[in-house]
Amino acid sequence: MKFPSRQRSIASNLTWMNLLVSGIALVLVYISYLAYTVFSIRSAAIESLSAEARVLGANSVSAIVFDDKASAEETLSALRYSGDVLDGEIYTQGGTLFAKYPASGPVPLPPHRMPEMPGPAHWANGADIVVGTRIVLQGKQIGTVYVHAHLEGIRQQALEFAAIAGGILLLCLGVALLVGSSFRRILAQPIISLAQTARMVSRYRDYSLRFTSERSFDELASLTDAFNEMLAEIQQQDRALEQAKVDLELRVEERTSQLQVANRELEAFSYTVAHDMRAPLQTIGNVCYLIMETERTESSEEEKHMVLQLRASVVSMSSMIDDLLNLSLSTSAPLRLTRLDLSSVAGSILQGLAEANPKRKFTPVVEQRCYVNADAGLMQIVLQNLLRNAWKFTSKTEGAQIEFGCTKRGADTVFYVRDNGAGFDQHLVDRLFKPFQRLHAASDFAGTGIGLATVQRIIRRHGGEVWAEGEVEKGATFYFTVDAPRS
Amino acid sequence: MVRARTVAKQVLSHLAMVCVCLCCSAQTTVSVTRSDVEAAYLYNFAKFVQWPEDKAAESQPFSICLLGEDEFGRRLDDLIANETFQGRRIVAKRFSSVAAAESCQIVFIGQSEEARLSKDLAALNTKHVLTVSDLPQFLERGGAIQFLFQNNRVRFAVNLAAAQQAGLTLSSELLKVAVFVEGTSAKEGVQ
Repeated sequence: MKFPSRQRSIASNLTWMNLLVSGIALVLVYISYLAYTVFSIRSAAIESLSAEARVLGANSVSAIVFDDKASAEETLSALRYSGDVLDGEIYTQGGTLFAKYPASGPVPLPPHRMPEMPGPAHWANGADIVVGTRIVLQGKQIGTVYVHAHLEGIRQQALEFAAIAGGILLLCLGVALLVGSSFRRILAQPIISLAQTARMVSRYRDYSLRFTSERSFDELASLTDAFNEMLAEIQQQDRALEQAKVDLELRVEERTSQLQVANRELEAFSYTVAHDMRAPLQTIGNVCYLIMETERTESSEEEKHMVLQLRASVVSMSSMIDDLLNLSLSTSAPLRLTRLDLSSVAGSILQGLAEANPKRKFTPVVEQRCYVNADAGLMQIVLQNLLRNAWKFTSKTEGAQIEFGCTKRGADTVFYVRDNGAGFDQHLVDRLFKPFQRLHAASDFAGTGIGLATVQRIIRRHGGEVWAEGEVEKGATFYFTVDAPRS
Repeated sequence: MVRARTVAKQVLSHLAMVCVCLCCSAQTTVSVTRSDVEAAYLYNFAKFVQWPEDKAAESQPFSICLLGEDEFGRRLDDLIANETFQGRRIVAKRFSSVAAAESCQIVFIGQSEEARLSKDLAALNTKHVLTVSDLPQFLERGGAIQFLFQNNRVRFAVNLAAAQQAGLTLSSELLKVAVFVEGTSAKEGVQ
């Protein structure tokens, strides 16, 4: 048996409530009955003791008048037939003890038993009762008689009734348990199964569940109806939500494919444009070359200078077209993975740069045996872009140094290209990889602004990532990983 | 042992108390004489005796008479002063001849009447008079109540036949406290 609490089921709480209510009722009944019993026993006892005292008083009149203590004690000795009486005393009007019962033995004199007491009175203290009454002869008080009784019956009654009440309490316990079990069936069971259904619904998110009750009236039925209605509502909303989600996904898919098609078309277009622009540009370049090669005396210095400028523009535009084609290739070309030695690729690019510009002084540092599993053509574009960048931004640096290497970061290999050139502001690093975004003025460093964007696209296609660290005038480092699948 | 000692102590203390009480009562007896008590009893007897109805007598004061030598003096007068009995004033009268005392309700016959006792009683017993005396053999000679002096205390005995002859009814309460009752077996019935 445990005390009712919030954690326990409604059925056991109901049982406890029953028990508690009947227990309290019983205790109240017991207390009031006991009080009533004690009161009635006591008042009856007081009544009878008073009568007894009056009789004793009347019978002791002559004994007092004629100073016959023996007679008075004989009269008092009649008290032995009253079971509850402990002692009795007769006092004369002067207040001296005249006779007592029992004749031998001490006489208890509680302070309240004043012999000068004016009239009949009684005192009660628990089961102890003292009754006093005047002894009157011819209208004059000649003495007082007291009778002291201990009402053993009161205690006995209380005990007996306590036993009866205890028995009834046990009976009530049994009845409460029985009633509780029937309550479980009638009242608690529907609530319990309602709670179970609610738990199932919340656990499995199954809003198609319904709670069935065999009863069609009372609050419980309306509760279950409301519960079921709520479930239906939720189910409907759930369905609508699901439908909306499906619709949204379909729409996204549709838009994505539309976007992809548009993108592909755009790229194909830009590729075609770039590719087709190459041939006329080549022609312009060739013509410039022929003009410069042909010895024309009449041509002035100014004309020669203009042709040189034209040629430089053709070269610049040609490299721009190359870059655009590379950017286009970086997304559209299929990946052909091979095992590559990036160190030798980097070495040959740096060597090419050095040979093309024999006047520039710089120190190439290439770490050997940096291998990667990647598309050879695309990785060539990546390294070309990064190393050319480094070359470009160290053009104004004394003691320029361009470094390629690889380190381990966990299971990945991180490749890097480092230079000690112009560097960049680390705060603007996000703009580095966006196409056509430039951190430096075109007058300082020539460039199209799409090289790093191309690098990022290629690395991402290989499942890797690229990032940069730099500081203005202290150089920059570009890192990348290549997480290409093995096959 | 401790218990026994406690009980002994209690008994001792009670004995001491009883002694004190005895001393007290001895002192009271010193100040209250035998005559005082007898005078009081004389007056109190009236309350336990029923006289036959007599309209003429009831209009008169209730008379307690002393026949012969006065043994009480002022005491009796002091005692009954301002007292009434059944609405009647109580008076004390003193007579030397029995003829004058015949209208009294209670007659105390003094020591001096010893010689005339039989004549006195014969006269009074035909009237409704309660005769009282402390003369020896008073009851045997036809008196109703005789004072006795026992254990330093005033007691009394009753001759019920004599009282009945005088037409008086004595209350059982009175008989209860009497040392003995002659002329009936009533005393034996009261236990």
